[in-house]
Amino acid sequence: MSRTPSLGWRLLLISALAAMLFLGLTGLALDQAYRSSQVEAARERLQGHVYTLLAAARLEDGVLTIPGGLPEARFHQPGGGLYGRIRDGRGNPLWRSDSAVGLDWSAGAAPEPGVLFHSRLELNREPVRVLSYGLHWEEPDSDSGTFIVDVAETRLEGQRQLGAFRQTLWGWLGVAAAAMLLTQALLQRWGLAPLRRAVRELQEVRRGRQERLRDRYPRELLPLTESINRLLRAERRRRQAVQHGLADLAHGLKTPLAVLRSALDAVADTEVQQQAREQIERMDASVRYQLARAGRSQERMGQQTPIRPVAERLLRTVPALRQPLPELVLECPDELCFPGPEEELLELLGNLVENAARYCRGRIHVTVAMEGDETGLRLEVADDGPGIPAACRDRVLLRGERADERQPGNGIGLAIVRDLAEAYGGRLTIDEGPLQGTRITLGIPLPA
Amino acid sequence: MRLLVVEDELALREQLCRRLTAEGFVVDSAGDGETGLHLAVDYPVDLAIIDLGLPGRSGLDLLRELRARGSRLPVLILTARDGWQDRVIGLENGADDYLTKPFHFQELLARLNALLRRAAGWAHPVLEFGPYRLHTAGKQLHLDDQEIPLTAFEYRLLEYLAFRPGQVVSKQALTEHLYPDEEDRDSNVIEVFIRRLRQKLDPDAERQPIVTHRGLGYSLRQQDDGPS
Repeated sequence: MSRTPSLGWRLLLISALAAMLFLGLTGLALDQAYRSSQVEAARERLQGHVYTLLAAARLEDGVLTIPGGLPEARFHQPGGGLYGRIRDGRGNPLWRSDSAVGLDWSAGAAPEPGVLFHSRLELNREPVRVLSYGLHWEEPDSDSGTFIVDVAETRLEGQRQLGAFRQTLWGWLGVAAAAMLLTQALLQRWGLAPLRRAVRELQEVRRGRQERLRDRYPRELLPLTESINRLLRAERRRRQAVQHGLADLAHGLKTPLAVLRSALDAVADTEVQQQAREQIERMDASVRYQLARAGRSQERMGQQTPIRPVAERLLRTVPALRQPLPELVLECPDELCFPGPEEELLELLGNLVENAARYCRGRIHVTVAMEGDETGLRLEVADDGPGIPAACRDRVLLRGERADERQPGNGIGLAIVRDLAEAYGGRLTIDEGPLQGTRITLGIPLPA
Repeated sequence: MRLLVVEDELALREQLCRRLTAEGFVVDSAGDGETGLHLAVDYPVDLAIIDLGLPGRSGLDLLRELRARGSRLPVLILTARDGWQDRVIGLENGADDYLTKPFHFQELLARLNALLRRAAGWAHPVLEFGPYRLHTAGKQLHLDDQEIPLTAFEYRLLEYLAFRPGQVVSKQALTEHLYPDEEDRDSNVIEVFIRRLRQKLDPDAERQPIVTHRGLGYSLRQQDDGPS
């Protein structure tokens, strides 16, 4: 994992923060609104209760009292949560509702007549909301006086309702948050799908299963994918140009070398001629080797060559390499592909087969197989020739080295194979193989 | 023997002509593909040495044109390119052998002689492979003066192989060229006939005249290689 957070995580994080902020503020606002409406309703109820008391009140001997029952039953139930009392202008209690008998109800506020005063208290540790109403009572045929009517209502019920409301509110907001995040995740999956597809396609290009990215991308990504395709095309063209240039160079160098060599062959053998001939050999080997190296691409993008047809083509040229024709065996599953261009596969197999054809007695086996764990290919070319002594095997792979000087050839074929194999991250090994001659095994790792 | 050298590099062409003449060949030469084609078609040439990198009509073009006209003229190609791609393409387009520049004249000479020997086999009405002789005129097969009776199909199969000495002939090619029923082509048929041929030609499995190149096809064992 890289330390830069992925696009997916970034988007998810941002949307989670946004959801929390948005839903949190929504919840707070709703909570606030609910609480203020609750207070408003409680105050109105208290006011109603005050009017109920006033309606039942009688002034008897200058004392305001409530002689009979009250329509609101809770005034009569102890612990019913609704309490009433009447005080005179100095604050002395004159009357208490049945429910308020025995309560330790301190004097409290004494508002002027006509004033409603709201307060909160605790009665016997029960939080209550109190409305105190100051009034001037006048009866036409009796005395008048100043009184205070107090109504207290428990806040426990309101707190319980608030609790229930909050539970519901935050529960649903939580559900909404989850739904939002889920939607966001789905959107993001869908929205980022083209990017993921581009990554997959690039991998396919790298593995050589396709040459370029396809066109069906959203408008925003098209500049990117087109640029990638342009790069891929340019790289292919550049490589072709290099190869053509190298081929021309090869032709330009080799024909003069051929003329020189042929001219030297024609005249009588002298020491000078011998030296010149050796120098021509060296020039030729050097040109061949360097050209084979230079024509190679470092990154093999977009190429995949089915092996079997190439191997068949190559083995059909063995009659030109060796007569009488040796017995040939090709074992290669049809579906195996080489992770590079055809010319490089030909170069690898060609040099190995040429070598085998040169040294075999009568049999050449070519085996191509997938490694057991599917991480690479194994290309084997075995012959029944004299074999290479174990001590010489490493040396044979060096440039210009040959274990046996008995046959013509400039001995750089295996070195080219080794170089090319290394360019693919592969390696060459030599043993006797099944034919008790030489088996050269080329392991080529496959791009993951 | 009359040879044709098609090579655009004057110095090399002249050297080749001089040395081949010294070896006793009659040599015609051309510096470009057009002239080369003209000479190859109109003169009784026995073998052509063709450089692939010719100006105008390329060596490969010349070769294709020759083969398209049905010419069986043995062709050895010379190429400055080492790449296997060019060699394989050349051989696939009908070249019989190739040599990369710069080459040793002795090697060229050896290859020329081998090609001429191989080509000579074709011209003869009796095709020989190992101790067997196939009489194309009488459609008979002889082993040490004993005739081995063959059915018509077996004879055609053997003849097809014998006409291609030192080549690997694929099962597919055999099926396509020999099996008359297009709808019912089945490569097993060839295997069955090859097995029967082997029983007739070599009942004791001593000589093994038909070589199986597993994964590729069949060839006939030639004179100078014994059974392995």
